[in-house]
Amino acid sequence: MSRVTWSLNRGRPAIEIELVVPGSPFVEKRLLLADTGAGRNAAPFEMLLDEEDCLTSASRSAGLVRLAGAYSGEFRSYFVEVRLPRLDYSAVTTVVGIPRPPLGFDGIAAFKFLNRFRYGNFGQPEQFGLEPLAGPTD
Amino acid sequence: MPPKFQIDEEDNRLAEAINREARSDPSSPYAGKYVAIAGGKVVAAGERIEDVLAAMEKAVPDRHRGLVIEASADYEGPHEIWTFER
Repeated sequence: MSRVTWSLNRGRPAIEIELVVPGSPFVEKRLLLADTGAGRNAAPFEMLLDEEDCLTSASRSAGLVRLAGAYSGEFRSYFVEVRLPRLDYSAVTTVVGIPRPPLGFDGIAAFKFLNRFRYGNFGQPEQFGLEPLAGPTD
Repeated sequence: MPPKFQIDEEDNRLAEAINREARSDPSSPYAGKYVAIAGGKVVAAGERIEDVLAAMEKAVPDRHRGLVIEASADYEGPHEIWTFER
């Protein structure tokens, strides 16, 4: 399986995902900040998305998650089908709905999600990329 | 704005009780499972989220009702988000 890379956005690491809209043949593309500082590997969420995207794309509500730092308080989480077509990746993903994503992004890919892959610049400082954990080594 | 999800207070309370139980007692029948809750009752439970969501959809077709929790997850955290540039 090949590596997928994206250009930095506003100088920050970014990935593009597809959100499956329940009951619709369409998907929504979203650009997320790749942030290893967002949550722990044991966190009950893998992404944070604009609440409106969660309402559109969620197949069901999940629990209330307490956040601290940039977002403080209790936020509803949801189950959303997330795809990365170029990596042949599709999974039901737990996503926290937030009122205001980081400037220039539609949300945040948290550490738990990024940690499903090998991630980094892979020797290209203006890029950020993902590849499957079982993929080729550098 | 799309319609909001309507989570009944009794469903929230049951979810919190199951979460507390599963996290404090590894022998709980819900420990390590996804649990679907609607109408103040457990609708389904299982180890695969896809199976539990499918069971929930069959029992409660309206996706805006009820909720599914990861029973042993730490929802209370708090989980820190370090991104401050907004």
